[in-house]
Amino acid sequence: MFEFEFMQHAFLGCTIVSVLAGTVGWFLILRRQAFAAHALSHIGFSGAAGAVWLGVSPLYGMIAFSLLAGLAMGSEAKGVVLSPHRDSMIGLVLAASLGLGTWFLHEANGASSMATTLLFGDVLGIDMPTLLALTGVAVLCLSGLVFLGRPLLFASLMPDVAQARGVPVRLTSLGFMAIAALACSACAEVSGALLAFSLMVGPAATALRLGLGPIAGLVSAVALALFLSWGGLALSWMTDIPVPFWIGLGAAACYGMACLVRR
Amino acid sequence: MAHPDNLFLDGVTLCAGHKTILDHVTLTVPITGMTLLAGRNGSGKSTFLKACLGLVRLQNGVLLVKGQPPETACKQIGYMPQGLNDAALMIPAISHVMAAMNGAQWGVSLPSRNRRENAERLLALTGALSFARRPLGLLSGGERQRVCLAQALTDNPKTLLLDEPLAALDHEAQHQIVSLLDTLTRELGISILMTSHETEALDGKVSRILKLENGSLHV
Ligand SMILES: Nc1ncnc2c1ncn2[C@@H]1O[C@H](COP(=O)(O)OP(=O)(O)O)[C@@H](O)[C@H]1O
Ligand SMILES: [Mg+2]
Repeated sequence: MFEFEFMQHAFLGCTIVSVLAGTVGWFLILRRQAFAAHALSHIGFSGAAGAVWLGVSPLYGMIAFSLLAGLAMGSEAKGVVLSPHRDSMIGLVLAASLGLGTWFLHEANGASSMATTLLFGDVLGIDMPTLLALTGVAVLCLSGLVFLGRPLLFASLMPDVAQARGVPVRLTSLGFMAIAALACSACAEVSGALLAFSLMVGPAATALRLGLGPIAGLVSAVALALFLSWGGLALSWMTDIPVPFWIGLGAAACYGMACLVRR
Repeated sequence: MAHPDNLFLDGVTLCAGHKTILDHVTLTVPITGMTLLAGRNGSGKSTFLKACLGLVRLQNGVLLVKGQPPETACKQIGYMPQGLNDAALMIPAISHVMAAMNGAQWGVSLPSRNRRENAERLLALTGALSFARRPLGLLSGGERQRVCLAQALTDNPKTLLLDEPLAALDHEAQHQIVSLLDTLTRELGISILMTSHETEALDGKVSRILKLENGSLHV
């Protein structure tokens, strides 16, 4: 299956996205922001719809929208805000942008096939420019994570203590949400807005369910994400069933197995 | 005087929401050894500790901890908040201690034997080593308390601010922790400012009692 250029692109794309989804997803689940991950990828969908309407590349629309939304979410995520408020905030940002997305699609008119692509992804249609853009986003996100690393982990494990030791908790949280927004857009490029979420959440949740520490957890989340996306790609080649199907079910199966291992 | 061993308040007014915790308080008191901050529920003990760390702003006045304003003093203070940490329960306890080491520096820390051994030493000190590899969420309240204390001791603090460190502990554990704190003050010269209702366990160990009531603070 590697003799075709589109398959080579697909595998490369999946590799980049898996590394990104594994690491960013691990922090998202650690910080109990699964809902944010879910929302961000859907918000990206609205941005993509807007981009289609304006006639620019959907990836840029996705990035612009989820970045804005991520910053809005991050600005509420300070320690004093009770977590139910944070979830309501995310829900409302999501609602507003889905509303906008629907309108964009309507304006872009007759683009329902486009909508399907945006929602379910088109991993076999990744071209060279997209691949380059993906690489750019991944490098940006990963270097951001390396820079934020220690304070982000400290603030995620013990927000009060971290703030007392001088960690700029709000700034760290904002920076991380910006990274998460970029990463969600990149993942949506591969598994579609609807399932971008599964690559982010499945491997990370599995690693955390196994009770692994930060380093082991991050490494296994990336390994699992690679396993899921490569496996999904190969299986879809053999069975002709779309990739998101395999990734989604595989993610759930991994988590199920982790639950079995840990009691 | 803003002496390096003192807690110094000059005309301090401190509020939490609409409640006034301190009302124009002027006081200078040494905080070497073990100092107990006493007061009824809701009198503002936790809020006062947070003010010493710069987590809560003063309405008015000057507060110096060992001669430094809270924003700089906090770098040499180990803090243990009230209540159980419930932020990341699926991570092993030892990772919580390791994450606090140089936790405020940008960048990542590579895995190192030195860091791990350091964390294990602190966990052994607080009697938490035997359950250090289990996820925090699977530990009992008292066990988590010991992990939090180990974490407050990272980066060699000169001062410890402990908010209800004896809550959730049985009597024997309370005595163990109090004698550990006593050792820390005598052997390492660490100053401890703590809140607690367990006056019995602290009998004979505290150097002084600061009383917080009706907007005033006095020895
Ligand atoms: N962020 C806040 N907003 C409004 N009121 C607060 C806030 N934090 C504390 N309070 C109030 O201030 C008072 C003192 O709280 P606290 O410092 O936790 O008391 P203590 O630790 O002595 O029991 C309480 O009445 C509490 O309800
Ligand atoms: Mg209190």
